Amino acid sequence: MAPLRGVRYPLRMPPADPFPGPPPSAPEEATLIDIRHVSRRYRRGVDEVHALEDVSLRISPGRFVAFMGPSGSGKSTLMNLVSGLDRPSEGEVVVAGQSLGDLDEDELAAWRARHVGLIFQFFNLIPVLDARDNVALPLLLTELGKAERHRRAETALRVVGLDHRLDHRPNTLSGGEQQRVAIARAIVTDPDLIVADEPTGDLDAKNAEATLGLLRELTDAFGKTIVMVTHDPRALRFVDEVFHLDKGLLLEGSDAERASEAIRLAAGGHASAGARP
Amino acid sequence: MLPLSYSVRNVVARPTRSLMTALVVALVVVACTLLLGLISSLKHTLVSTGHPLNLVVMRKGSDNDGSSQITLEAFQSIRFQDGIARDAEERPLVSPELVVQPFFRTRDGGRENVLVRGVEAAALGVHDDVRIVEGRMLRPSAGEAVVGRGALGRYADATVGSELEFGRGRWKVVGVMESGGSSFESEVWVDARELANDARRPFPYSGVRLRAASAADLERLERRIDADPRFAIEAVPEPEYYRKQASSANTLYVIVIGIAVLAGLGAGFGAANTMYAAVQSRTAEIGTLRALGFSRGAILAAFEVEAVALSLLGFALGAALSWLLSVALSRWLGGIAFGASTFTTNVVTLRLSLADLGGALLLALAVGLGGGLGPAWRAARLRPIEALRRA
Ligand SMILES: Nc1ncnc2c1ncn2[C@@H]1O[C@H](COP(=O)(O)OP(=O)(O)OP(=O)(O)O)[C@@H](O)[C@H]1O
Ligand SMILES: [Mg+2]
Repeated sequence: MAPLRGVRYPLRMPPADPFPGPPPSAPEEATLIDIRHVSRRYRRGVDEVHALEDVSLRISPGRFVAFMGPSGSGKSTLMNLVSGLDRPSEGEVVVAGQSLGDLDEDELAAWRARHVGLIFQFFNLIPVLDARDNVALPLLLTELGKAERHRRAETALRVVGLDHRLDHRPNTLSGGEQQRVAIARAIVTDPDLIVADEPTGDLDAKNAEATLGLLRELTDAFGKTIVMVTHDPRALRFVDEVFHLDKGLLLEGSDAERASEAIRLAAGGHASAGARP
Repeated sequence: MLPLSYSVRNVVARPTRSLMTALVVALVVVACTLLLGLISSLKHTLVSTGHPLNLVVMRKGSDNDGSSQITLEAFQSIRFQDGIARDAEERPLVSPELVVQPFFRTRDGGRENVLVRGVEAAALGVHDDVRIVEGRMLRPSAGEAVVGRGALGRYADATVGSELEFGRGRWKVVGVMESGGSSFESEVWVDARELANDARRPFPYSGVRLRAASAADLERLERRIDADPRFAIEAVPEPEYYRKQASSANTLYVIVIGIAVLAGLGAGFGAANTMYAAVQSRTAEIGTLRALGFSRGAILAAFEVEAVALSLLGFALGAALSWLLSVALSRWLGGIAFGASTFTTNVVTLRLSLADLGGALLLALAVGLGGGLGPAWRAARLRPIEALRRA
């Protein structure tokens, strides 16, 4: 993995914030993501699926947190609400002082482009574009010129240690490399928040560890806030905090501790959840 | 906005499917350009307004002087009618004419049919828009020819002083004529009797053009000629004659446009089918783009551009194919026999003009835009989370 702390990271977005509002995270409360009594129900035929029920949580800026829980517990649903891909049936999601419910569809898309970096389980790179163009893709939504877009994409690829693969199309890259390109794409706009849904789900052990390490470094070196959904017990060694979900509910207190314990046991006892303050 | 290269590369990324679709568009383009070319060639033999005091006399039932023939007796009966205008030497302005359409060799090695009109001395008096602009008018029985400005230089040896070769004989070119852009300018005129001999025609004339002394005389002449029981001939005022010719060409235009629209619709469905498949197979990709913040408009545009790129590829293939075909047709076949009733003897060549290619380009664009609309709309309306779930 590339040594991140030495890398200059000049990925500042152009000024003009189209969403003026309260300044992100006033120091006393230090909350980047505020989820208030959020529920999400899906209609499936005649009956309703309660994917999330009255979930409230806060995430401070600069933290690397994980959502864990069994399949179908609502992890992805919660993440889609945090990243503004989806809207809650009830409750409110506030990110960096912006209540997402106040934005219409296109405003929300523009907000995502500016404030959120997305990482997916299957990388979701565009097959016909090479690594540089894939990474530069979100910059097409800015006013930056082509040369500047390429320069920033190359910097982001340097951060993930792939600056020697600029002209490679996704199908000529390994899974681990593809995920690193995807991470470069997620950080190229220098977003406040990076959201990753099972980023190691399609990777082997070695690449999974490397990816988790890279995400950790993004937090440590650049102060990124990362929200990650994962099944991977290895993740416990890298994250600051874990939120456990089960059947659409956020586990708290002893329930949460029991869940953590179960995952530690599954990991063979090496992992230490919440080891970081 | 997504870059052009995104759409274009996706066309290239599935070469077989893209090529198949482009070929369908190409075939439509070929059909469209060749048919339009055919009509253009036809039209240019029909451009004339006619003189309001001229009558065209033909065999009953023929509506084109190429498909008519008239006996010597019939001609004599017309010639001595009252009410016909006379020239300075008191000769009646009656021009018997014979029309044949032999092949000429073009300069670039192709073969084309040219309308050769056998005329007599009165011709220039009746067709008073025709002027000799270089050399002189042909003399009877001297094996001479005058060529229209449009034919000048287009065919091998169609210049003053050269010998033209067509039919069975050779003809000395002695003059060049102009007629203000009407169809006479693409004709070659020779002596009527010589032409009849050369073409071994049983009847010396295909029709008669005459100039009435006045509008009232025109009407009287028309009625008298139509009513003559001895000869099955009829007279039509020249303006009406050309209007009819042009309107048959216009009918053809409508038919061709109809065919083009139908073929275009078919190709549009082909393009739509391909693009629906593309949207289907790239659902997760569309979800990703939307998740990254691209608007519905950007997705719509990208897929429309992709469909148009596909149809433009088809247009390029089709244009190349039409060009090859038109060269082949004029080189080896000499042209296409045209069988519509009005043009029984017309054989026209296909000449690919920029205007016809332009028409085909518009059609191809319409095919792409129209065919792409449904799929692009579907892509734009995909909800990002649902699209992403289909990864
Ligand atoms: N678009 C949808 N329509 C209907 N039901 C949905 C939809 N999305 C999710 N669900 C349902 O909501 C529940 C929670 O789904 P979610 O995808 O959040 O689970 P998850 O914790 O991410 O599971 P996994 O670990 O398998 O990814 C599940 O029962 C799922 O079937
Ligand atoms: Mg999930």
